[in-house]
Amino acid sequence: MDHSEESHVKVTSERLQSVIEALSYASVDEFESCLELLGRSTEKDEFSELETAFAIFVRELGEAKSELNRSLAKQEAVNRELEGKLETIEMQQAAIRELSTPIIEVWAGVLCLPVVGVVDSQRSAEMTETLLETIVAKQARMAIVDITGIDVMDTKTADHFIKMARAVRLLGAECIVSGINPGIAQTLTHIGVDLTGVRTLRSLRDALQLYLRETEQLVVQQHTAFARSSRAPEV
Amino acid sequence: MVPETLTSVRGKQLPIRGRGDVVVASSLASRLARDFGLAPRRAKELAIVVSELASNIVKHGIRGEIAIVLDAARGEVVVEASDVGPPIRDLPLAMTDGCDDRGPIDPAHFLRRGGLGTGLGAVARLADRVEYREEEGGKTITARFLLR
Repeated sequence: MDHSEESHVKVTSERLQSVIEALSYASVDEFESCLELLGRSTEKDEFSELETAFAIFVRELGEAKSELNRSLAKQEAVNRELEGKLETIEMQQAAIRELSTPIIEVWAGVLCLPVVGVVDSQRSAEMTETLLETIVAKQARMAIVDITGIDVMDTKTADHFIKMARAVRLLGAECIVSGINPGIAQTLTHIGVDLTGVRTLRSLRDALQLYLRETEQLVVQQHTAFARSSRAPEV
Repeated sequence: MVPETLTSVRGKQLPIRGRGDVVVASSLASRLARDFGLAPRRAKELAIVVSELASNIVKHGIRGEIAIVLDAARGEVVVEASDVGPPIRDLPLAMTDGCDDRGPIDPAHFLRRGGLGTGLGAVARLADRVEYREEEGGKTITARFLLR
């Protein structure tokens, strides 16, 4: 190879043209075609060094670009998934809030608050508030708090439950706590809660029957055998 | 949030962002605790502890998480509630029933102030041991349940 003083390199216009073409491929992210073009040259001169350097640069650029696209696509998929999950979570949270204190009017003037899951102090405070408000709003005469599903409660929370029953009485309604299980019974007696004025019954069914008996509706309904069937009548 | 196969995991960490997470954490906690070998009744008490601590995060913390892990070496199931938020001003006071860390809660304001004020008391009553530590910009409450 002749490194002349003038340092001129002779290049055929064909080679130059192919480099220009390669460059234009690279500018539109067609790295494969670009590299293919550059690889055609078999000459070994200074211009071919330029071609090689260009090829290396393009190859790296191509790799970086596809890497970037891959992670962008991945990120986008993750974002979409996350958004979907967040939406689900929000919906579930709303559902949970709604379900945590369901108050059902099982009979005209009779409210039932079935308690399931874990009862902590916060929930117990919310239940009290919701129950008392609903009693006033629905002018209920009786509230049945069914805790069949609960077998463990903190002593203070249990105490608060009984206080809730008392508060119901203050509103002129009667509160029956049904479904107290052995564990809760022990908790309540252990802390010496005053149970006077709080009626407790074994089951929701017993509580309803008691109400019907007391309001003498049972007599009226006996013919239809309502009380003996466990089906909840429509209000 | 879909929990993985619970039996193979030695512990679980859950972010607490809202009321729904409290319910999720406590129900998961009771299952995990049973898997770790805690008696069913104790597992339910642990669930109450998780519920109280998680509600506290929602009420007082900025963000936080609950971890339920098995410390096999010490034979304990450990509940760790950590949050980013102000420290508890007066721990003994906050643990007193009917109080938060500022003092007694007026019963008329139970709900507005966010509860009965018996949450930490319940944690202390139900867990075998409770530890509290403050960190940079946050705090951690650890409740331990012995595997007997």
